Amino acid sequence: MALTDTRPETDAPVATTIAVSQLDAALGSGDHKTTGRLWLGAGALMLLAGLAVSTAAALEGVDLGSSTVVDDQGRFIQLWAMGRELLLFGGLVPLLIGLATFIVPLQVGSSSLAFPRGASAAFWSWFVSTDLLVVAYIFNGGPGGGRNDYVVMWALALSGMLLSIMWALVCIATTVLGARATGMSLDRVPVSAWGFLVFSLGGLLALPILVAQLALAYIDIKYGFLPDREARTSLLAITDTATLAPGLYWVGVPVLGIAVEAIGVHTGAPIRFRRAVMAALGLLGLTSFGAEFFAFAGRGRGFDFHNGLLVVSLLLAAVPVLASLALAGESLKRGTFKVRTPLVAGLLAGLLLLVGVLVGILGAVWPIVTFIESQLDTNVSLDSAFDVNGTSYHDGLRGLIMGAGVLGAIAGVHHWGHKVWGRSLDDRLGLLTALAAAGGAVAWAVGGVASGFLEQTRLPLSVENAKDGVEAMNGVTVLGTALLAVAALLLALNLARTAFGGGSANEPWQGATLEWATASPPPAANFDAQPIVTSALPLIDGVGAVATTDASDGSEAEAAATEESATAGGSD
Amino acid sequence: MSATATAVNHPALPEEIGAPTPARPRLLLLATGLVSMAVAVGYSALVGIYLYARAEVLHSGEQWLPRGVTIPLTQPNMMMFTLVFSVATLAWATSAMRNDDRANFFIAVGMSMLFGFAYIAQTGFLLTIMELGVRDDTRAPLIYALVGTHVVLMVAALAYLAAMTLRALGGDYSAKDLEGIYGASLFWYTTVGLYLVLWYAVYITK
Repeated sequence: MALTDTRPETDAPVATTIAVSQLDAALGSGDHKTTGRLWLGAGALMLLAGLAVSTAAALEGVDLGSSTVVDDQGRFIQLWAMGRELLLFGGLVPLLIGLATFIVPLQVGSSSLAFPRGASAAFWSWFVSTDLLVVAYIFNGGPGGGRNDYVVMWALALSGMLLSIMWALVCIATTVLGARATGMSLDRVPVSAWGFLVFSLGGLLALPILVAQLALAYIDIKYGFLPDREARTSLLAITDTATLAPGLYWVGVPVLGIAVEAIGVHTGAPIRFRRAVMAALGLLGLTSFGAEFFAFAGRGRGFDFHNGLLVVSLLLAAVPVLASLALAGESLKRGTFKVRTPLVAGLLAGLLLLVGVLVGILGAVWPIVTFIESQLDTNVSLDSAFDVNGTSYHDGLRGLIMGAGVLGAIAGVHHWGHKVWGRSLDDRLGLLTALAAAGGAVAWAVGGVASGFLEQTRLPLSVENAKDGVEAMNGVTVLGTALLAVAALLLALNLARTAFGGGSANEPWQGATLEWATASPPPAANFDAQPIVTSALPLIDGVGAVATTDASDGSEAEAAATEESATAGGSD
Repeated sequence: MSATATAVNHPALPEEIGAPTPARPRLLLLATGLVSMAVAVGYSALVGIYLYARAEVLHSGEQWLPRGVTIPLTQPNMMMFTLVFSVATLAWATSAMRNDDRANFFIAVGMSMLFGFAYIAQTGFLLTIMELGVRDDTRAPLIYALVGTHVVLMVAALAYLAAMTLRALGGDYSAKDLEGIYGASLFWYTTVGLYLVLWYAVYITK
């Protein structure tokens, strides 16, 4: 065809659209919002599974003379360990990661999470690893397991879970550190985002220690150095430092962040002393890592709980929790208390955490007194019941911290539920969930701590040395874990109902931070235009914006606009 | 305050804010720093467990290494020198890219990777001449865990450097954008630093 020829008429090009099914979107999405929802859904289910297994394990203590659920001590240890691992690394931590994955980019004004596809890969590898962990336990693997291959599988699956969680934490921390909106200095990030940053850094410092121990355990199991079930029971110690307080205080950091943020929003009185709260969260992260480190360093020397620095960490942990709650209390005093799930659950989470760290101090009494006795050559004659090392006191304390974590997750899911699904979760059901969780945590703690002071060893359960009242206290523990399981079930039902179109479509409340400046759920690139902030409370003090041609990569600024309505007050 | 507060109708940015050129976030470098930190903590934990186990055995009056097992010094020292050279060549590569000297960059990266492969080969040779069977003794798993983990780290460092080099071959990175090169270098330097710990804790003090 010569250039002068008339071009034949053709149909106008038709834009082709690729149909993406929901399954495709879930499996292949690099959108942090999809990944966050996946973490939340799977985390809620695994939390329920973990609590159900923990309840089954706790039932064994109700009648020490006979078998209730499993027929031998080895099986009991497996059940107990499975519940503990699923509860923390399968349920609570994934729930917190889900919230962070969804909310943190919005809070810092970013169009995306750092490495969104990496975050998606982290979720799927965690999901597969968690399934493998359950399979390993079902086929007689795990600590105290009877089949070597499945004990190896347990070590690999748990390592996979931890590595996936660590990668998700890298994505979250990198987003807060490096992908903040223009004008948002690190001290202007919302308190909850700061909490998630400290949580991520704490996890990246503490979890590798577990992975290192699992690597050694893998070689030991694989090459026959742990030949029988009794020898394999020693594997329980690997997860002790992270799943028991004070190392467990690590999950308290984001819980406190969520609680403080929820209190600020729902009382209508933003937190005044943000920097002090942020410093307190940092200190809690530091003490929980310090405690975990000292517990690890002291283990094997026979004084894990008696390590001096560990005791100092235990005592120090109370300071930031108290300080954060006191500073949040100022908002409560200034604002109006509204009976809403995020506020009630956030408050209960904070209070449970406070009780948890105080009960933790109770456990430090014996080592402190023994130390004083040895130094001053005196005899204080403290009741030996205060020597709670190795007793079920630790499990009671774990119940408090896990309960605080579950309540923090409930507060967060209800606080940002509308942002996540475009519809609010049922608030009445949420209140019921929060009350069940709080009651469950308290009962778990009462049962565990009381039986600990009655000198019930943590593992194995022994009928010979059982004192009067121990079985009754174990019954209270069962009640606690069962109530927490009910709370997890209610949370999962509420989430499912909202995710599939239930709940209210009205925006229930508005905060002062950037996530409230965009639609619910947010568009593909989170914001219609790049936000520019000039204070820690941009929606009160004024938020600027930069419109972009392609907001998805945020690279080209085309037009600029801003709002400088610097109203009085409210800044930090 | 509304749900769409950022879709604003404002005429212009205030002068003090200036043109809205977003700063290029160095996300890859930040993430590499965090991963390096986690790797260093995990590896230090392994070394800590090793040192504690060794101290216990020595305290009981026994010899640490099983009978018939010797760790020669020549190979570990050569491995250390190899890795120290790789640090120098990687610094050369970074410097070359900073000056947009791509030819020197590729030569230097190639040499660094060669040193990395040489280190892995030397480790394999060392394990062969040590004649320490992994099932022989309870101490063997500790030594294998430390040495094996470090080889895995070196493989990861090589893969990272190779990926960044491929991106450079594709036209990425220049004097103005070195983030990926810096990231790969940071992880490499961390791996070499951890070898120095391994060298002293296992090979030198035995």
